[in-house]
Amino acid sequence: MTDKLHPLVTAAGREMADGKLDRREFLRVATLLGVGAGAAYSMAGLSEPAMAQGAPRKGGTLRLGMRVQDLSSPHTYSWIEATNVARQTVEYLTYTGVDNVTRPGLVEKWEASPDLKSWKISLRRDAKWRKGGRAFSADDAIWNMKRMLDPATGSSTVGLLRAFILENFELDEIDPRTQKKRVSFRLWDSNAFRKIDDFTFEINGKSSFLGIPEAMFHYPAHMLDPAEGGKFGVGSNGTGAFELVELEVGKRAILVARKDPHWAGGPWLDRIEVIDLGDDSAAQVAALASRQVDMIYQGAIAALPAAERLPHVQVNSVDTAYTAVARVHPIKPFDDKRVRQALRHATDTEAVLKVAHRGLGSPGEHHHVAKVHPEYADVGFMRRDVAKAKALLAEAGYPNGIDTEIACRPQPDWELLAVQTMVEQWKEAGIRVKINVMPSAQYWDVWTKVPFGFTTWAHRPLGVMVLGLAYRTGAAWNEANWSNKEFDALLAEAEGYLDVEKRRAVVARLEQIMLDDGPAVVPLWRALFNYSDKKVKGYRIHPTAYIEFREVWIEG
Amino acid sequence: MARYLLRQSLNIVLTLLAVTFLVFALNELTPGDVARKLLGPYATQEQVDHLFREMGLDRPLLVRYAEYLGNVLRGDLGTSVIYRQPVADVLLDRLGHTLLLAAICFAVIVPLSVALGVLAGMRERSPLDRGISVFASVCASVPEFAMGVFMLAIFVVWLGVLPGTSPMRATAEWPVWMQFVLPVAVVTLYDAGYLVSMIRASMVEVMRQPFVRTAVLKGMPFGRVVTRHAMRNALITPFTVILLQLNYLVSGLVVVETLFAYPGFGRMMLEAALAKDIAVVEAGALVAVMVTMLTQLLGDLGYMKLDPRIRI
Repeated sequence: MTDKLHPLVTAAGREMADGKLDRREFLRVATLLGVGAGAAYSMAGLSEPAMAQGAPRKGGTLRLGMRVQDLSSPHTYSWIEATNVARQTVEYLTYTGVDNVTRPGLVEKWEASPDLKSWKISLRRDAKWRKGGRAFSADDAIWNMKRMLDPATGSSTVGLLRAFILENFELDEIDPRTQKKRVSFRLWDSNAFRKIDDFTFEINGKSSFLGIPEAMFHYPAHMLDPAEGGKFGVGSNGTGAFELVELEVGKRAILVARKDPHWAGGPWLDRIEVIDLGDDSAAQVAALASRQVDMIYQGAIAALPAAERLPHVQVNSVDTAYTAVARVHPIKPFDDKRVRQALRHATDTEAVLKVAHRGLGSPGEHHHVAKVHPEYADVGFMRRDVAKAKALLAEAGYPNGIDTEIACRPQPDWELLAVQTMVEQWKEAGIRVKINVMPSAQYWDVWTKVPFGFTTWAHRPLGVMVLGLAYRTGAAWNEANWSNKEFDALLAEAEGYLDVEKRRAVVARLEQIMLDDGPAVVPLWRALFNYSDKKVKGYRIHPTAYIEFREVWIEG
Repeated sequence: MARYLLRQSLNIVLTLLAVTFLVFALNELTPGDVARKLLGPYATQEQVDHLFREMGLDRPLLVRYAEYLGNVLRGDLGTSVIYRQPVADVLLDRLGHTLLLAAICFAVIVPLSVALGVLAGMRERSPLDRGISVFASVCASVPEFAMGVFMLAIFVVWLGVLPGTSPMRATAEWPVWMQFVLPVAVVTLYDAGYLVSMIRASMVEVMRQPFVRTAVLKGMPFGRVVTRHAMRNALITPFTVILLQLNYLVSGLVVVETLFAYPGFGRMMLEAALAKDIAVVEAGALVAVMVTMLTQLLGDLGYMKLDPRIRI
């Protein structure tokens, strides 16, 4: 290998050799730092997982049952469903796989400066726009990234890269609501994106950020043709393997394979039809049963038994760090940590997993770090102990138990089921809870304000990411209003370690604090699942629910 | 007559005004923010505020309502936020689908329930009456979604003779007409069960009247008594109820449309309401109110025809 390795890769390699670094975490870090996935796997002494499902067959139509949404503005998409259609035409720069390893996409390789502030990005030269046949260039990539980071666009990519590359500034307008000057943001430096040549550019941030390659896989980060001004629709240009030929929001979208070969090989399918079946899970299974669709985007728990019984259908699932947590504000009776502990002791997470999620996933452990997180530390599984819960309540001054109310949503169905199961379990310990089910839109208005609520949390690759978002004192998404100084200090320490073993040691203490003092009951980790016809090959379900059709084929 | 029509038209206009304003105000009061909904959970507050202002949502409610009303009077129903299309286009498309489904259902339900209701009611407590009544009450008491799921289990999963969803697009295996079978069957069974009981009760009532007994004693054949004398009278009360079914068939099919993934008006309204797509909800409400008022008008006129004693 002629390319020189990033010093952190060498350091990480040494730590792995010393047994201090987990192999999976090494893979993630090494690939983020620019090592190819194949090389990283061999450095880690592992073999890269291959898909062994036979030889792909060219031809055929695949029909996917999924909501068909408005696709006009990819950079502001807020739903995976929309990206799943657009992604077939307008691709991402990178691809983070099922194994958490980030691989090249339109980007061929990347190199980070030792302080992780400056990233040199090299594009592949053989990716061609379908219309015009022009090669995908550094100008194209920079145009897209700048557009996503423009406040006028309204892309969620801003939230991801704000600390790295944006700065705030005051506008001359006064906000009538706050009587202060409005604040906006802009690139922190004119050289934030610097073109080196037609296929190379540099991203210069103001702080260190390891996650740049992963951020390029953020769902709205589609690479659009600048000539189309940020809009997307039927016939739009793209570097991807398919072309959108028909779109009716709420009904159907149709994609056909491009004529010239795609840079990564494939596609095998001639045509993809996306059919909007609405939100009813019974309709999804009915469509599968009568072979009106070959695949469903995501399954619902209520309809899983019916789908499992269809002989031509297979259930695909993947473990994730998706969850929902029952968390309390530190107000009476939950201002006493013994009452919060009682809530955890009264919960049987294995039973909740079985009832609410039909056993798909793994039981929660009440600290918000999942087994799929690299820095997960095993601090012992907390089994249900009703007697202890009762004793804790009595000690806290509630010998007759407590009465309270929990707010939750009716959709997705497993959330309400989980709440109902927990409420039954809590009852036995004298914690009598009324369930207040409110529509999703209403719940998201009050999710940080209700004293006791059940809130869903998406999958994130690292445990410390969620802890920082949800439990740090004063964090915008700290929905429990929880504050623990020791926790904050340890969290900052953990975030500073690239070495996962060092981080794990601190995370173990963080987890212990959450068990002792924390505001949350974490009942389960979900497995994401969907259904496909057995004739659909080459497909693996991804923890982000992204679908990539280029590799998929239909067996004859 | 002219005065009646004038009064009714005025009535319609006032109701439409009241309904549009109420919907507008209620939408305002329900929680949730369109801008946040559009930009997604990861967007920053500034971005949400920016879009909020751009959409003009920071102006007072009355100003926005007046503007909306002005546009509607000019024939502009606005643009849908979720479909990103002119509301009129979305509405006409979905309404067309629903009217087609409703027309088929109506064409099946009315003759079927009149026939069954009259057959059951003409000989009270006969075995035929018992049989039909039991069937009708079973159908009427099973909710649509349960009926739909039963039928799916039998005809789609078990027998595999019918398609499970109705996206209104033919595939090699399932032509479009077959996609109508299950939705129509579910609506018909559910709705006819109710209508049959209604018509039967009215028929029983009429068959007990002295003029029917007189006709029978006069030696008139039973069939003629039923068709000539009893039926016409027995249908006056159910007539209103039959017309009310039109309302239900246009705006109440949401359960069936959702269950069978049918791209109709009810499903569109449900989704628009959940997403706070106010332009679509308003236009849908306008249609629903119009349908209700028109069936009322039709009802009054129909009464006049059926019963010459009634004058309006």
